[in-house]
Amino acid sequence: MSTFEFLRYATLGQYVPVGSLVHRMDPRFKILAFALVVAAVTFSGTYLANVILLLTVFLLVALSRVSLGQALQGVRPALPVLAFLAVFQVLLPPQTFGGEACNLIWQWGFVELTDCTLRFIVVSTARLIELIVLTTLLTSTTTMAELAYGVEGLLAPFQRMGVPAHEAALTVTIALRFVPTLALQMERIVKAQIARGADFGTAGRFRFVKTTRRLLPLLVPLFLAGLRRSENLALAMEARGYTGGKGRTRRVKLRARPADYLALAAAAAFCIAMLNVDFATLGRALAAWLGQF
Amino acid sequence: MVLLLTEPSSVVFFAASRLPIPMEGAFFMHATEPLIEISRLYHTYEGSGTEPIDALRGVSLTIHPGEFVAVVGTNGSGKTTLARHLNALLLPTRGEVRVAGLDTRQEAAWPAVRSQVAMVFQQPEDQIIATTVEDDVAFGPENLGLPADEIEGRVRWALETVRMWELRNRPPHLLSVGQQQRAAIAGALALRPRCLVLDEATAMLDPAGGREVLALLQRLHADGVTIVLITHHMAEAVLAERVIVLSEGGVAFDGAPRRFFACPNHVTRLGLELPPVADLAARMVRRWPDFPAGLFDLDDVVDALAFRNVQIEPLSFTDPPFASNGRPSVAARDLRYTYLSGTPLAVRALDGVSVEVHAGESVALLGATGSGKSTLLQHLAGLLEPQDGHVLIAGKDAHARQTDRRFLREQVGILFQRPEEQLFETYVGDDVAFGPRQLGLDREAVRERVRRAMEAVGLPFLDYKDRFTQSLSGGERRKAALAGVLALHPKTLLLDEPTAGLDPQSRRDLLATLRHLNREEGLTLVVATHNMDDVTALARRVVVLEEGRVALRGSTRQVFSQAERLRALGLDVPAAVAVMAALRERGLPVPAGALTLDEVEAAIVAGTAPLPVSETERGDL
Repeated sequence: MSTFEFLRYATLGQYVPVGSLVHRMDPRFKILAFALVVAAVTFSGTYLANVILLLTVFLLVALSRVSLGQALQGVRPALPVLAFLAVFQVLLPPQTFGGEACNLIWQWGFVELTDCTLRFIVVSTARLIELIVLTTLLTSTTTMAELAYGVEGLLAPFQRMGVPAHEAALTVTIALRFVPTLALQMERIVKAQIARGADFGTAGRFRFVKTTRRLLPLLVPLFLAGLRRSENLALAMEARGYTGGKGRTRRVKLRARPADYLALAAAAAFCIAMLNVDFATLGRALAAWLGQF
Repeated sequence: MVLLLTEPSSVVFFAASRLPIPMEGAFFMHATEPLIEISRLYHTYEGSGTEPIDALRGVSLTIHPGEFVAVVGTNGSGKTTLARHLNALLLPTRGEVRVAGLDTRQEAAWPAVRSQVAMVFQQPEDQIIATTVEDDVAFGPENLGLPADEIEGRVRWALETVRMWELRNRPPHLLSVGQQQRAAIAGALALRPRCLVLDEATAMLDPAGGREVLALLQRLHADGVTIVLITHHMAEAVLAERVIVLSEGGVAFDGAPRRFFACPNHVTRLGLELPPVADLAARMVRRWPDFPAGLFDLDDVVDALAFRNVQIEPLSFTDPPFASNGRPSVAARDLRYTYLSGTPLAVRALDGVSVEVHAGESVALLGATGSGKSTLLQHLAGLLEPQDGHVLIAGKDAHARQTDRRFLREQVGILFQRPEEQLFETYVGDDVAFGPRQLGLDREAVRERVRRAMEAVGLPFLDYKDRFTQSLSGGERRKAALAGVLALHPKTLLLDEPTAGLDPQSRRDLLATLRHLNREEGLTLVVATHNMDDVTALARRVVVLEEGRVALRGSTRQVFSQAERLRALGLDVPAAVAVMAALRERGLPVPAGALTLDEVEAAIVAGTAPLPVSETERGDL
């Protein structure tokens, strides 16, 4: 029962205040640059491209002065999934991935491993690791408030077209603000009901009604508390003069510096390069060149 | 907005503020126009499918700039409704509310009204909007559409005023409750209001947190801010220059606290209680009808006692030794516990705590917010597994593999903070029956347990079993939650802040119930509380925690004789003990061990030969 620590699982992003170059970036530019690098990751399907991407990602980790352990903390929970996907891929009948010719490299009974499957497994594992580390990097170098400012700033130009930029940002902020609070509340309710003899385990497969009934002592109070909180919050916001986004100003004026433009330009150039270079050909050329020695 | 706050930095904001309302300094306050005018205000809540509730019935009052007003009254007397009319959060059903001359029914006036009358609510965590303190304080000024550099300046000023500037980057859930409430006050102050309304804003705070907030209010008041303090604590109400008493939606009294508390019968009839000094004076009046009535200041009481040449008998107060039957009901041995261990946010909650509670005892667990009280209670209930050390419940290791969960549930019950939140059934009876049903008892046995549990907490079974849970008052809901735990027939009951947020009447009721359960039914009690008066009412023994360690332990009398030490630990002594210490300081030999006003009264009376009772013209008002 020592798993009674809901806050542990409710840390959406753990900001690490070490104040690096990456920390100091304008959040709007950081989010855009992040999106560009993620795009590059998404469309890179070769060994060579992923070697380059992994190097880039870890270069970014070094630049942001976040410890390697912190950067990789999101990877460990994903490992079982990755292992499962790999096994699944091997057990499936060999696929051809866009009609290339594939060579069998290992066979055991009906289980066949072709070079295409192997590449698929290695590349998807690498991409997932890159994505997780990138996301961890974004949340450990950017506070929730900055993220909200960034989203609002990016959506602001579209406000005239009816995009509720301010409302979206505020909704995100409040949601993030209340995640830990509700987690603590739920923890307290669970403990209180367990102390009264409640059992929140499942009642057995397919006995959905009974299982749901068992959760009522948890769900009803949580729901009521949520309603009460949102009423209180609405009142508190109104009391402080909130009437919607109109006529509001912000404390933090986002001001892009030359370094921000430079970083965004670098990210864009990197993304375009990754999308346009024919890594398959380059890889073969590299292999041929290495083969000369 | 007005130049009310005397910091030099405020001059800058004055020029930029949007609503300049001319006002003179504090000396001319009542000469200026009233800040808030309420005339014949009615407010009716239209329930869906239920009877409409008239929360306010013809309230008329005027609040002038610079006043310090306390609003008191029982739960349901209309305090909160009135407060919400002061800044247009509610609009009159009938009648009129004007803030600085602006009618609150005009929607166009709301921004002006709300920036002049700011509000702080009871639940600190529900009024913090942003993910950091700094961003939250900026929320109000941002709504006012102020330029960024002025917002920055106001945030800094507000946070420095509440002494939270160093914590500006903290996320709200990592603040203590007291800090959260100060952040909320900063959020209100950043609007640069002329008036601050606090709706039971100290109810959830520990003594040190409460003292800090009250000191802050007095500073703000000295700077000319109008304060409207809604409170259940009469000791807070006496800080005000004026007290408004609400009863059933009407104003039952409006005037100086001294005058209100001069009529003890009136105070009791309104469901309130006397502040300790006035209580002592009223007791003297009951003994000696010629004792001057309506004394309110400690000095006056001392003078009056001296004038009568009162001799105080040096009685010694001791409690009969507690007969323990040997084996502790619950015990903790060298507990250590760290929340979020292994993360950057790790917090050590318990650092080697050992406690033993014997059957039939009542022990109070004291300590500032964050000292580890709740964590210790949850260990004693077997809900948290110790990271180091042992928890023994009825002699068995709570987390040994062979210990039966059900056995533990039947030994120890726990009532968490705000237990009314754990109610989930539609009807009260069903909710109380939840525990016994989980034990698999038959229908009759469940019914019998529910009946006895409900009667024990003072909710008559037949009257209450078919009532809607959500339709009960706050105090009744708390009793229902207590019944739900008692229905499990625990031998030990652990309570976390059982009286927080209750009005004086409900609080006395609940304390009497718990005392009865302990003294008559033999239920062992462990009570974690911030309220020192709860301790004298319930506990014979006190354990004080500080940063996860036991800082003090001993009988209630021993512990409360160490006022200095307790204050240093962020705590306090009960109001009666403070009064007696003050009497001693003024040379009256009040016995040191006395804990309650009853005991002081006994000592004073024992030392004084009864005077012939003269039927003077002055009866009880």
